This record gives sequence, C-alpha cells and structure tokens, in this order.
Amino acid sequence: MAATVLIVEDQILIAWHLSDLVEGAGHRVLAIARDPAEAMETAARERPDFALMDIRLHGGTSGLEAARMLFECWGVRSIFISANLDPATRAQTEPLRPLGYVGKPFLPAEVITAVERAVKTVAG
Amino acid sequence: MSEPRETILNVNDNEAARYATSRILHRAGFKVLEAGTGGEALQIVREDLPPLVIMDINLPDISGVEVCRRLKADPATASTMVLQMSATNIAVTDRVNSLAAGADSFLVEPVEPEELEAVSRALLRLHRSEAALRRSLAERELLLKEVNHRVKNSLQLVLSMLSLQGHRFKEPETRELFAKAISRVTAIAAIHERLYQDADPLTVEMHTYLTGLCAELVRASGMEESAQASLHIEVEEMRLPTEHGVAVALVVNELVMNALKHAQPTNGPAVINVLLLRFGTGQVRLSVADNGAAPEQTSSEVAGLGTQLIRMLARQLNGTVGIERAAGTYAVHVTFPLQSAVSWRQPY
Repeated sequence: MAATVLIVEDQILIAWHLSDLVEGAGHRVLAIARDPAEAMETAARERPDFALMDIRLHGGTSGLEAARMLFECWGVRSIFISANLDPATRAQTEPLRPLGYVGKPFLPAEVITAVERAVKTVAG
Repeated sequence: MSEPRETILNVNDNEAARYATSRILHRAGFKVLEAGTGGEALQIVREDLPPLVIMDINLPDISGVEVCRRLKADPATASTMVLQMSATNIAVTDRVNSLAAGADSFLVEPVEPEELEAVSRALLRLHRSEAALRRSLAERELLLKEVNHRVKNSLQLVLSMLSLQGHRFKEPETRELFAKAISRVTAIAAIHERLYQDADPLTVEMHTYLTGLCAELVRASGMEESAQASLHIEVEEMRLPTEHGVAVALVVNELVMNALKHAQPTNGPAVINVLLLRFGTGQVRLSVADNGAAPEQTSSEVAGLGTQLIRMLARQLNGTVGIERAAGTYAVHVTFPLQSAVSWRQPY
C-alpha cells in the first residue's frame, strides 16, 4: 500500500536521499520541510500518513516541536531520525507515539524497514 | 567586589555550644543556618544545599556520623563538605569512623575561633574547586556529545551525497563501481551509529552491526524482492575493539557483495551464510559460504580491489584466509585471534 510521507529535515542532501528511499519503496513524498512552520503548512494542506522527522533542526530541538505540532493538530505521527538517540532524547518523543527511530548515519535498509513498519501501523 | 557570603549549617543539640559556634562564624562573615537534630540537618541540607556543614557527633536522634554517611551517599548532597566536631572525651576510633563515613575533617573541642574559621575556609575552598571541576567535566561531556553528533551527521552527509551522485550514472558498469564504493563507505560509517550507545565506547557489539550491514547489502543488490537470494547470519555474542570490528565488517562486505553477484545456482535460490564464531582457544572465525559456483580465479579477479582488501584486512586482524571448495559450496574463512579490548570504565 502506498503511503504519503512528509520529510522534515533541514539538511537538503539528507532530505533528498530520504526522499529517494521513500519513493524507491513505492510511497509518495508530499514535501520536504525544513522547519516546523513549513511542516505545518504542508500538513494543513494535505494530511500525510506520517512524517520522517529529524529531531535536531537548525542545531536545536525544533524537530521535536514540529513533531508535537503535527501530532497535536492533525494526529500525524513521526519516525524519528537523529545522530543522537540516547534514552533522554527517546523519552522526549514518547508522548508523541513515535512510529520508530533511525540513527544517523543510517543504512537505507533501516529507513525502508522503519517506513514499511510505519505504513502497517498507520493503516492498522 | 566581595564574594557573596557563604552559608554554613551549624548542627548541635546543645544550645549554648551551638550559639558559641554560630557567633564565631557570624563574626567571620559567614551566613549561618542552625539545626538541633540530625533529621533537621538532613532536611536543611536538601533544601538549601549549604556548601559546609559543621556538625556535633552526638545528636539526639541520628548520630552525626550517620547523618554524614547519608549526606555523602545521596548524589544531590554528596558534594556538601562536612566538618565533624566532638567533645574532648571521644575515642580515637570514633574520630576514625567519622572520617571513614565521609567527613572531610574533624575537630575536637574546645576549638580556638581562629582555627574553626581557618578550617571552615579551607573546606569551602575545597568545595569551590570541586564545583569548578565538576562544571568543567560537564562542559567537556557536552562538547564530546556535540562533536560525536557532528561526526555522525557528517558521515550521513557523505553517504547521502554518494548515493545521490550514484543515481545520476546511466552506464551499468559505472553504477556498479559506485555502488561498491558506497557499500564500502557504509560499512565504515555504520559503526558510528553503534558506538557510544552503551557503556563501552571502545568496542562494538558485532551482532547488530553485521546484521544491519547484511540486510543493507541484500537490499542494495535488489535480490530481496525477486527472492533470488537468502542470507543467513549467525554471529556469536561478542564485542570487538572498534578497529577490528570495522575490519571484519569490511571483509563481510566484500565477501557478501561477491556472493550476491556470483552465487547463481542452477536450481533454487542462492543461499549465503555469514558466520562469526569463536574458534579453538582465543580465536574467532569469520566464514562466508554460498551454494553457488566458486568464482573463476581469473588473473583480473586476483588483482581485484576486493581480493586485495580481504588480504590486507585479514593481515590487519593478524589472521589467515582459507578457501574451501566443495561440491555445491564455496566458502571463505578468515581466522584471527580474539583480542581483548582496552577495558573501559565509566568514571562513576
């Protein structure tokens, strides 16, 4: 089943790479958002099934903020991607019912596995 | 500008003695809090966190030694300096016990005001330098975390860049060469996602590392969907020093890439087995076996980068390479001594 995915990642090279992987797996990337505002804009227009969310946008934690807004306003859940997935960081994402975690540097197979799992969770 | 007044908690159930001590401390310019029992002292320390507690050893509820032990055992109050005081008739063993329980100094009354003030200042000085050290350590830890984050992020950028570049090539040969390069870089980069996640940052747990890499190799080969190949992994629980872990991963990468490319048995799908097991005494054996035809040993393949890499990496592991050819199977074994890693202990 093809899902619609929102990618939230401020580093464009990594965002493209993720986009290639998601589309290569047969899903549709609605948009690449670089900050919470852009993420909300896309989500308001066309509800994504879920988001691929970098936790640390612009060196801060605004990915968490974006994920919280997406979840609270539209019930859109996220797969979290980060170079730092320590227990404290994971705990912060817990209330947002995360669909999965992928550590950077990621293996493409890990991203696809997480995406497929999310597609099933969201559909089920 | 003068230093802000430092706070000292003065604990004594004898009102007259407590008053006398407080008076000396006030005159010396300290802010003084008072407690008459051990329970009260514990509560005040938890709430106000005074840098120094001056405490009589005999208290009506909990002994001064026990109060000190509790303060030092609780991480929230452990940095508090404790100066135990007692009357002249105390036995030496009690003084020793008190210091053993964590008291930072001990004075026997009567004490000259100058001495009490001097010892208090010395302990406060020690408290300040300990606090400065702790701050600097916390800053270093934060810096290390930040650097680690940047390293991993930069490696991700390298991989994403290579991958995007790889898609731009049309010629199958160029694409394949590029895919090989990406796969090799991935094997090296992927270890960083596995390190620093647990208590031991100097070694890598091989099972998750190799399982992830092999899953990625199968995906990248595109053989997963067509069910042309199945890959089985058996990795014994073991941690290898980081540099050995990377060497093993690179060898696995070369051998599995080869097997995925060449293993095309006439009947049924290709079956590739990857094993990393303890072998004999203190040795480890890595084996990659498949049921396909053994690769032709042409001169160009002998000189291929993949073959060279396997030899070089085996040497780096102080290991040997063995090749096994039997009917319907082709296996490469790399046997190397299991080196114990430099032990690592968390500071606390």
